[in-house]
Amino acid sequence: MLANLHELKMLLDQQGIFFCFSGPMSQELMVGIGDTLRNKMKLDDANSSTIVKVFSMFVEQSQNIIHYSAEKTPPDEDKAELSSGIIGVGYDTGHYYVLCGNLINKEAVAPLCEQLAKLQSMSKDELKRYYKAQRKKGSPTNSKGAGLGFIELARKSVKPIEFDVKQIDDKFSFFSLKTVI
Amino acid sequence: MENLAIEATKQTPKVSFDANNHVLEFQGESYPENMAEFAEPIFSWLDEYLEQLVAQPVTVNIELIYFNSSSSKMLLDLFDKLEEEVEKNGKNITVNWIYDADNDSAEEYGEEFQEDLEALTFNLVKKNEK
Repeated sequence: MLANLHELKMLLDQQGIFFCFSGPMSQELMVGIGDTLRNKMKLDDANSSTIVKVFSMFVEQSQNIIHYSAEKTPPDEDKAELSSGIIGVGYDTGHYYVLCGNLINKEAVAPLCEQLAKLQSMSKDELKRYYKAQRKKGSPTNSKGAGLGFIELARKSVKPIEFDVKQIDDKFSFFSLKTVI
Repeated sequence: MENLAIEATKQTPKVSFDANNHVLEFQGESYPENMAEFAEPIFSWLDEYLEQLVAQPVTVNIELIYFNSSSSKMLLDLFDKLEEEVEKNGKNITVNWIYDADNDSAEEYGEEFQEDLEALTFNLVKKNEK
């Protein structure tokens, strides 16, 4: 792995990914990384409106890993303290983008794909109405947040959100998501 | 009744509710891991306050640079509660949604809250216009 580390770094650089984290994500870690991200973008002369939007996507995607990743430590879901995933922030031809990925249970695949495909097909106005309606409704019972994260991401993304699901074994799939600012 | 004062952290806003001067303020950023836990003391203070409030005008100043989607739900619950107090109980409440001129996200959220409120006075207050 030591020899491959440079290749990994080159791969990230080629994609314009200037920040990447893989492993157990926590609220504390997210707050710290978020600070550094904002500082970095400020030093790169990004305008403050863009910085807020990138930060917002970073927070929603990190909290999505924290709340919904199926990769837990310890693995017993009732006692789980930490959720793992991968998150990256990149810059490509004038746009920032935020990527995240984590394991999900087999049962979560179909409803998640359905929800995200629905968001992809919506116009900005439809997304706005849907966001407001969902916010009024309150959170779904299986949700630890307000259940608004994906809609928020779809609304802020200047391109339709991209996502992918790869089956890992008979229990888990790997879910990944990309949003562009 | 006692005032409510919660210090700001990186992920939660400063909350200062003054029951004597009838000024309630939120200031900072809001993206805690557990919004319900943060909101609980705020809403229970508010319930008690609104209960004993008569006709005094109340000003609610909200200045949030960034808030996540679960905080947005909390804000909606707050505005719904205040709207009901104005509509049903004739309370005199004004919300000032304060945002920086270059923070278009905060501006848009303010406009969207404003769109859905009827009885509650909801002002958009732009700061630092260039």
